[in-house]
Amino acid sequence: MLQFRFHGRGGQGTVVATILLAKAFFKAGYYVQSFPLFGVERRGAPVEAYLRIDREKIWIRTNLYNPDHVVVLDKTLFFSTNVTRGLKKGGWILLNSDSFPAANDALSGYNLAIVDATRIALKHGLGTRTHPIVNTAMLGAFSKVHGVPPMDAIVGAIYEEVALRPEANMQAAREAYESVRLFDGPAGAKEVG
Amino acid sequence: MKTVMEGSHAVAEAVKLARVQVISAYPITPQTHIVERLSEYCADGSLDAKFLRVESEHSAMAALIGASSTGVRTFTATSSQGLALMHELLHWASGARLPIVMAEVNRAMAPGWNIWTDQTDSLSQRDTGWIQIYCEDGQEALDRTLQAFRLAESVNLPAMVILDAFFLSHTYEPVDIPDQAKVDEFLPPYEPKFLLDPGNPCAFNQLAPPDVYMEMRFSIQTAMQSAIGVLEEIQNDFSEIFERSYGSIEPVECDDADIILVTSGTVTSTCKEVIEKLRSAGEKVGLLKISLFRPFPGEAVRKVLSRTRKVAVVDRNCSFGSGGIFAQEIRSALCNVPDHPLVYGYVAGLGGRDITPELLEDIYWQTKNTDFPELDSFWMGIREVKDGIICSGS
Amino acid sequence: MKNSNRANMCVPLLIPRSYKTSEENKTGSWRFLRPRYLEKTAPCSSACPVGQDIPRIQMLAVQGSFKEAWELLLSENPFPGTCGRVCFHPCESACNRLEFDEAVAIRMIERFLADTASRYELQPRLNKLAEKGKKVAIIGSGPGGLSAAYFLALLGYSCDVFESSNKPGGMLRWAIPFYRLPLKVLEEEIARIESLGVRIFCNHHVEFEKFKHLRSNYDAIFVSCGYQKGRRLNIPGEESPGVEDGLTFLRELKSDPSSPSLHGSVAVIGGGNTAIDVARSVLRCGAKPVIVYRRRKEDMRAFGEEIKMALDEGVRIEELKSPLKIEKKESGVILTLQKMKVAGIDESGRAAIEPDNTDPEIVSYDRVFVAIGTEPSEPWYVCDSCSGKDIKLYNSVMRFDGQFPVIFGGDLTTEAKTVTNAIASGKEAAMALDVLFRIGKDFVLPEISRCRVGNGLSVSMEIYLNGERKNRVSHVVSYAEINTDYFNLIPRTPQPRLLREERINSFSEIDLKISGSVAMKEAGRCFNCGICNHCDNCYLFCPEIAVKRQDSEEGGLRAINYDYCKGCGLCVVECPRNAMVLEEESA
Repeated sequence: MLQFRFHGRGGQGTVVATILLAKAFFKAGYYVQSFPLFGVERRGAPVEAYLRIDREKIWIRTNLYNPDHVVVLDKTLFFSTNVTRGLKKGGWILLNSDSFPAANDALSGYNLAIVDATRIALKHGLGTRTHPIVNTAMLGAFSKVHGVPPMDAIVGAIYEEVALRPEANMQAAREAYESVRLFDGPAGAKEVG
Repeated sequence: MKTVMEGSHAVAEAVKLARVQVISAYPITPQTHIVERLSEYCADGSLDAKFLRVESEHSAMAALIGASSTGVRTFTATSSQGLALMHELLHWASGARLPIVMAEVNRAMAPGWNIWTDQTDSLSQRDTGWIQIYCEDGQEALDRTLQAFRLAESVNLPAMVILDAFFLSHTYEPVDIPDQAKVDEFLPPYEPKFLLDPGNPCAFNQLAPPDVYMEMRFSIQTAMQSAIGVLEEIQNDFSEIFERSYGSIEPVECDDADIILVTSGTVTSTCKEVIEKLRSAGEKVGLLKISLFRPFPGEAVRKVLSRTRKVAVVDRNCSFGSGGIFAQEIRSALCNVPDHPLVYGYVAGLGGRDITPELLEDIYWQTKNTDFPELDSFWMGIREVKDGIICSGS
Repeated sequence: MKNSNRANMCVPLLIPRSYKTSEENKTGSWRFLRPRYLEKTAPCSSACPVGQDIPRIQMLAVQGSFKEAWELLLSENPFPGTCGRVCFHPCESACNRLEFDEAVAIRMIERFLADTASRYELQPRLNKLAEKGKKVAIIGSGPGGLSAAYFLALLGYSCDVFESSNKPGGMLRWAIPFYRLPLKVLEEEIARIESLGVRIFCNHHVEFEKFKHLRSNYDAIFVSCGYQKGRRLNIPGEESPGVEDGLTFLRELKSDPSSPSLHGSVAVIGGGNTAIDVARSVLRCGAKPVIVYRRRKEDMRAFGEEIKMALDEGVRIEELKSPLKIEKKESGVILTLQKMKVAGIDESGRAAIEPDNTDPEIVSYDRVFVAIGTEPSEPWYVCDSCSGKDIKLYNSVMRFDGQFPVIFGGDLTTEAKTVTNAIASGKEAAMALDVLFRIGKDFVLPEISRCRVGNGLSVSMEIYLNGERKNRVSHVVSYAEINTDYFNLIPRTPQPRLLREERINSFSEIDLKISGSVAMKEAGRCFNCGICNHCDNCYLFCPEIAVKRQDSEEGGLRAINYDYCKGCGLCVVECPRNAMVLEEESA
């Protein structure tokens, strides 16, 4: 079983990102479970959402404490929130950012992947100029970083679930898939992708 | 069709498949997604039902009592304070023998203000004459809702289908949505045994003096008891059509178990993993899931539990001054069995606190390592706090 | 499909329900009070000089049935566009809503309905009866004469109207300024009357000899020449140049659209509507008007709202000043004014006045207009004393010259000399003549009394023609009889108007149009006193379900099933508008 944690802000589509991924994984033959942080949701406030995937039925129905990997949809959360809380060593941090974050000891032992999902979302007119919706771009990057789910499953999920402008969302996902940069350990900042 | 969906939406899907005719509800977290989805179905025409918007849960239930009296299939959903506000009318619905079906999303009672899961809200309504079925996952929530209509309509009693807040209501997982044709086969249109008929006006629910009231109550009790057998027959039909089955209880690895954990709701799923782990470590442990709480399947429970030595009941609820409510029920079901097992009551996970595999293991070990339950209920994971006024964080 | 449990399981079901149908219990046998539908008269209708069915008009307006509402207006009054602008709306003063919050803006809605019909060029369905083969001559084409012609034409008579001036309309055309009544409105309404076959002969002054001559060509004459002549002050210097009759000024102003230019300070003597109209017209012509009135402002006969707008526009009022004499000076006139004081209040609340013994005040003005009232221009028009042979009706007098019937109406007979009263007299005269011709003199008074609306002076054509309204009783619904639990406080819709600055420089109409939604909202404030507006409270509240919604034998949409009505009276109590009555069961 793999467990993922998503960090974002209310309104960025963080919860929807996990739902779309769950559907994409399900299409790719996985058993899935996704849920938001149980609580009060407010626009602009930090939110979390979770995804569990497995080849077999998932029995556990508890909160998720030790993710294998995390996805951060908003670079301002990268330092204000402890995004590595409980994260297993060797896990990937997929970050939406236009630049490599300054060297940070807290990130040692993890792999970092960076995609400028905000730029991609703006380019494809997703959301508004002030509040781009980056979730579908992040899905494309996710597929590249983890090798799963395959892009066709992600595209299928987007077409089924995204009522508004599915074509633009699909293109954003593809562009992010192509442009995400993978680094082998952030301290060394050696690009491997 | 198998798809990934939220527990709340699974219930809404079942309500649509059941071709419900009247829905009335008032929004309350965490029930909202159910009625939100149903109002969409009513608006887009995919469900041909009348959706009555009302100003409170009390009115929602009142509206359904009226609607159900005219012989139509009805549905509502609520949680916590909303259910409490319905209380008076819950008695009315069962007394009037109306097969109203309700989805109840378990949420803690306030104060302190809390939107997370806790069974005390639904269990506070155990004496209202409503059938209560607790669900473990999205699939069961869908299937039980379909069954609830047929069961309620068969015995002329209202039924609650109960879901854990968030752990079930807001969790996406694969759910198999049955074909409409199959559902129609399983659940034909409601045929009321009596109804408000303008062509034959009768007085309903009028004065019932002492010489008849008791017989009416006895009729409810008898109908409620019969529901256990009726549900069994419904299950047979259900599994024949949908190739899935549920019991009023579900024993796991109980045959040779020395200790049996008793759970309800989503905790059961997590506990299944724990049992597997303990079994592989050589522990003779079993699990009994209680789905049907009212009527309480005492006979079936006795059959499973009377052979074991110790029973550990996990209660996500509390009857203050007594203890966990499932534990009480188990004790009273077993007390007349000679050499009945010891019953250990554990209160855990109130107000949405997580019940983790580690906590369930603790319960097992504590039960195993304690010769005799010293307390009626043992509260798990209580933190040390100073007496006084606690100002918790937001 | 087995569904075995349905077939085999025997689930006990004992519920509290009657064994027999509750229909066997004829609760009607308990009844000692009997409710029934009985429509009554609304206070506005009773106060309206023409007896308009105001609550029903509001009901139709709320439903958006604007054409039907307009046709209902036309059934009692050929001038809704005019009255919707110039009527002094006694209906609104009588409105029961006044005690609740504010009166319904009835006149505004009347105007809206008329304007809507005009805008869409609607053609009314007017029920014109078969020709009766009789001819009626009408003297005067003012509101009274034209109304008589309109209703007589509808009743099947041919009518010729004789007008002394060059155009029809009387005071509507010559005295009311354009800013209150645009010409187009009047001309459309006159055209509608003419379309019924009424012939109007202008420049036909009927002096006494001609009047006698008319008798040989017609079967009856209606005299409605109005009060055309301005009253005189009877003080020295009244004939001086620079002193003019106000009515004449208004007439000249209206006949020549290029308004005369005035300047300086202009005195207007008087306190009636004409004085206000003159003063406001003077203002629009560029001069500074001052109204000189011998009593107090609040004693003025002019309508309150007109006075308020005049003051707002800059008209000054000098109260408690009575002119003693007028002298001509080089460029203008000098007015000698006696200051007056209040010497008691009469029954109607007006001040009685007397000189206050101070020295007279001497003021000079560029011009003086006299507008202290009007009188008939020829003595034979006067019909103030009734002989025993005359039939005195509410608004008109039927007199017989031998056997020849002459009816006097309009200002000649009405107590209040207003447009709407004149219309009322014309309608009444038409009805009276129809009764006379059909069944005879002795039936005139009883027939007209039968058509009375409530307890006022107005009569209804719909009642006369045996329409549904005849089933209403004359009892006027009081505020205490309204169940106000069913109404919310809603402020009256204000009449949108031109800004003061826009008003004072032109004769453009001041009151602006309102939209249909505003009219519907305002009409929705109406209590619909005394009439059933199908609110269905009776149906909803009846504990025995004894109110049936179907065509009843009495003609209404609802009926009471007395087999089950136990006479509890809930329907009557919960009727918000007193359209029901509860009576003792007769033994």
